[in-house]
Amino acid sequence: MNDELDEIQAIFFEECAEGLATAEEGLSAMAAGDHSSETIAGVFRAVHSIKGGSGAFGHAALLAFSHRFENVLDEVRGGKIPPTAEVTKTMLAAFDILSDHVAAAQGQGALPADEEMLAELDRILETKGTGGAAAEPAAAAPAAAPAADEMGFVPVTVELEEFADPFGFEPVGVSLDDLDSPPPASGDWQIRFRPSRAAMANGAEPMFVIRELEELGGRVTGVDSAALPDLRDLDPEESYLVWTLSLPGSVEESAISDCFDFVAPDSEIEILREAPIEPEPSKTEVPEPTAEAAPAASGAPPAPAPRVAAAPRAEGGEAKTHEAAQTIRVDLSKLDMLLNLVGELVIRGSILSDRLSPRDQERVELPELARLTREIQDNVMSLRAQPIRQAFSRVPRMLRDLSAETGKQVQLETIGEMTEVDKGVIEKIGDPLTHMIRNAVDHGIESPADRIAAGKSPEGTIRLSAEQKGARIFVRVADDGRGIDRERVRAKAVEKGIISADAVLSNEEIDQLICAPGFSTAETISNISGRGVGMDVVRSNVEALGGRVEIQSVPGEGTTFTMALPLTLAILDGMIVRFAEQRFVLPLANVVEAVRPEPGQVQPMTPTSEVIELRGSYLPVKRLSDMFGLAANDPRTPEESLVIIVDSEAGNIGLMVDSIDDRREVVIKSLDENLHPIRGIGGATILGDGSIALILDIDALLAGASHSNAKYSPKGIAA
Amino acid sequence: MTTANVETIAAADRKIVTFTLGKQVFGIDMKSLIEIREWEEPTPLPSVPAYIRGVTNLRGTVVPVVGLSERLGWEPSVLHSRSCILVVNIDGKRAGFLVDHVADIIPISDSDIQPAPDVEIGEQGIISGLVQVPNKIQGGEDAVNDSGTMVLLLDLEALNVTRHLEMAA
Repeated sequence: MNDELDEIQAIFFEECAEGLATAEEGLSAMAAGDHSSETIAGVFRAVHSIKGGSGAFGHAALLAFSHRFENVLDEVRGGKIPPTAEVTKTMLAAFDILSDHVAAAQGQGALPADEEMLAELDRILETKGTGGAAAEPAAAAPAAAPAADEMGFVPVTVELEEFADPFGFEPVGVSLDDLDSPPPASGDWQIRFRPSRAAMANGAEPMFVIRELEELGGRVTGVDSAALPDLRDLDPEESYLVWTLSLPGSVEESAISDCFDFVAPDSEIEILREAPIEPEPSKTEVPEPTAEAAPAASGAPPAPAPRVAAAPRAEGGEAKTHEAAQTIRVDLSKLDMLLNLVGELVIRGSILSDRLSPRDQERVELPELARLTREIQDNVMSLRAQPIRQAFSRVPRMLRDLSAETGKQVQLETIGEMTEVDKGVIEKIGDPLTHMIRNAVDHGIESPADRIAAGKSPEGTIRLSAEQKGARIFVRVADDGRGIDRERVRAKAVEKGIISADAVLSNEEIDQLICAPGFSTAETISNISGRGVGMDVVRSNVEALGGRVEIQSVPGEGTTFTMALPLTLAILDGMIVRFAEQRFVLPLANVVEAVRPEPGQVQPMTPTSEVIELRGSYLPVKRLSDMFGLAANDPRTPEESLVIIVDSEAGNIGLMVDSIDDRREVVIKSLDENLHPIRGIGGATILGDGSIALILDIDALLAGASHSNAKYSPKGIAA
Repeated sequence: MTTANVETIAAADRKIVTFTLGKQVFGIDMKSLIEIREWEEPTPLPSVPAYIRGVTNLRGTVVPVVGLSERLGWEPSVLHSRSCILVVNIDGKRAGFLVDHVADIIPISDSDIQPAPDVEIGEQGIISGLVQVPNKIQGGEDAVNDSGTMVLLLDLEALNVTRHLEMAA
């Protein structure tokens, strides 16, 4: 039972996270000048969903705040509050507090202080200006004095606390007054609401719906308790009552149906409009105070509303059902299982094709089967791919906080946020990304005064970008700040005993030092970074993913941190090469061309290095067997070998191999599932005959090679 | 089956798989064992300690193959027709250990296990205890006496390949 509830809660928080991302995106668009009704409605819906869920799960503080926030958004959506820059800014700040509330509800962090923001939101609501505000009947339901009604109900306050409720519901005061309210006025809404029996077990609390309707000015006109069983048969977790409510005709139908967003699926809901006093068919044409609430949206004829049982469901409700049918939530482990199975299928397929002659392959339609398998695989892969935007979405908020804390002005540019990455990768780059951004603001970007003095614009820029290149995703955080102060980094590293005082380091190696464990140059330990763990954490997290971190820095111009991440679980287009009696997979994305050297085309440059002359220019040549320390039994001469020109971050370079076996797509299997990542090896794959071939990670391999002679190689580079 | 063996079954708390490395008999907990496979040359890996002989394909997953003898700091095992790989589960990670010859599955009771004397074998904690088992090892002349055979129980957690590498790094 508890597990189930936890699960439902978990789904709620997942939805919150999605809602927050949507809201932030929308608000940012609004801040950038996009005031389309779609954008605003998107933000409203997101906040509304969070509110609905928070009510159902008894997160009172979150409910209260999101409700107030939603009110403002509703007015903006309705055009009653113009989305001025000032209003948008306040809403962005309100959004930040909303995020904190969600985190607090999740048990991550304390409840935020929101009084000031609530006051601010109220102020916006009040000062929205002139338009029709006075005519708003929204607050039309002042609570009547508690008194016994005709059904004999006395208002009671139910203390849910005593039930040790697994939902963690806050105690709520339930008032049963208003039952004797006058018959509904003409043109008012008549609502009948029978929650599904299992509503409460599913985490839906009918009371919250009723209260929401009451806030719209509704009053309960009757409660049908006919279904209520004897007390001893009563299951307190089931819902037996049917409520009828009446709402003022001026309330919009969509506002009413919104209240039912979170009821259990098989609840009965009827929303009917009471016949007007003078049921003139042309009534809707006449402008009058209730005109905006005319049932135009429902598509129902403006004739006297039919009070038939099979009344059409509210439009909002229907749209919701359709939306729900578009997506389903699937446990990631199920997807992984599917992906593994499909991977196996691919491997079996290639075993078949290895064993059958081309003629037999045709006869059993193997190519068809292979094509289908490939398609299934592509589709399963795409299920796991998500735009990296999800990982980027928390950055704007962070920057706002950091700006406020440091007094530095930072502008964010994002590029390539739609780049699709495996969900697992997205989840794991969150922390490294946070550290990189903090580092950029804290150490990179200068104070406005310093920037002006350096002839830069007072506002710093952080460019966050993502791009896919071959089998890797490159996520970059580039700032236009002061760059790495190599003198200071070096001095600090000597002081901390990370390097010896006489170590000879290249600029790149000094830059890498900031990723060394326990390194921090901040003079005073700031709240933001400077605890000397940040960049170390970045590097170890990224390396655990089979990726690596690179740092480029130009003094006075800025620093760029690059995370090169693997597309784990991906399929790789590879060239199968052979050297030292072993097969390896070379990512095709890196391959420029393959050359069979003429005698003399490959020449030694120094005793340990060779170059190849190619169309007039010289490229370095590496023997892969040497790089891997694999001794070939029969070393080949260059003329007996092939040189594959690959494009790496270090430029084009030739790799000497014995032969090229094949070109095919391979399924990447990670080595660290049972072992640990190995530098230069991007993973492994299983070939058609069931044997394993290692996949080369060219960039890491060559980066490792170029550092191998350094006296000090920061951990992870030469390891 | 001797009577002694029947008694041990009655009091058995767990089963161990025994195997040999050279002349020494080792045991691991049966629960950790996934399967025993014939020796097959694994795909060698670059930049790993010599005791990692490579990786092999275990039904679609890539599993490291460790020369147990080298891992314990002994001479590398010489491959022969009965060499085999014990595929085990250590903390959710799978690894294959090259051993000379798998002997038997023996029930033991926890009270039979004696703490290992402070011997130098690899690093601390690899041998979790010693146990005497009735002599059943075939091929006879080696170290047979009436009191049975001494089996060194291996602590697989302590052998964890990754952990060792992290410590070395």
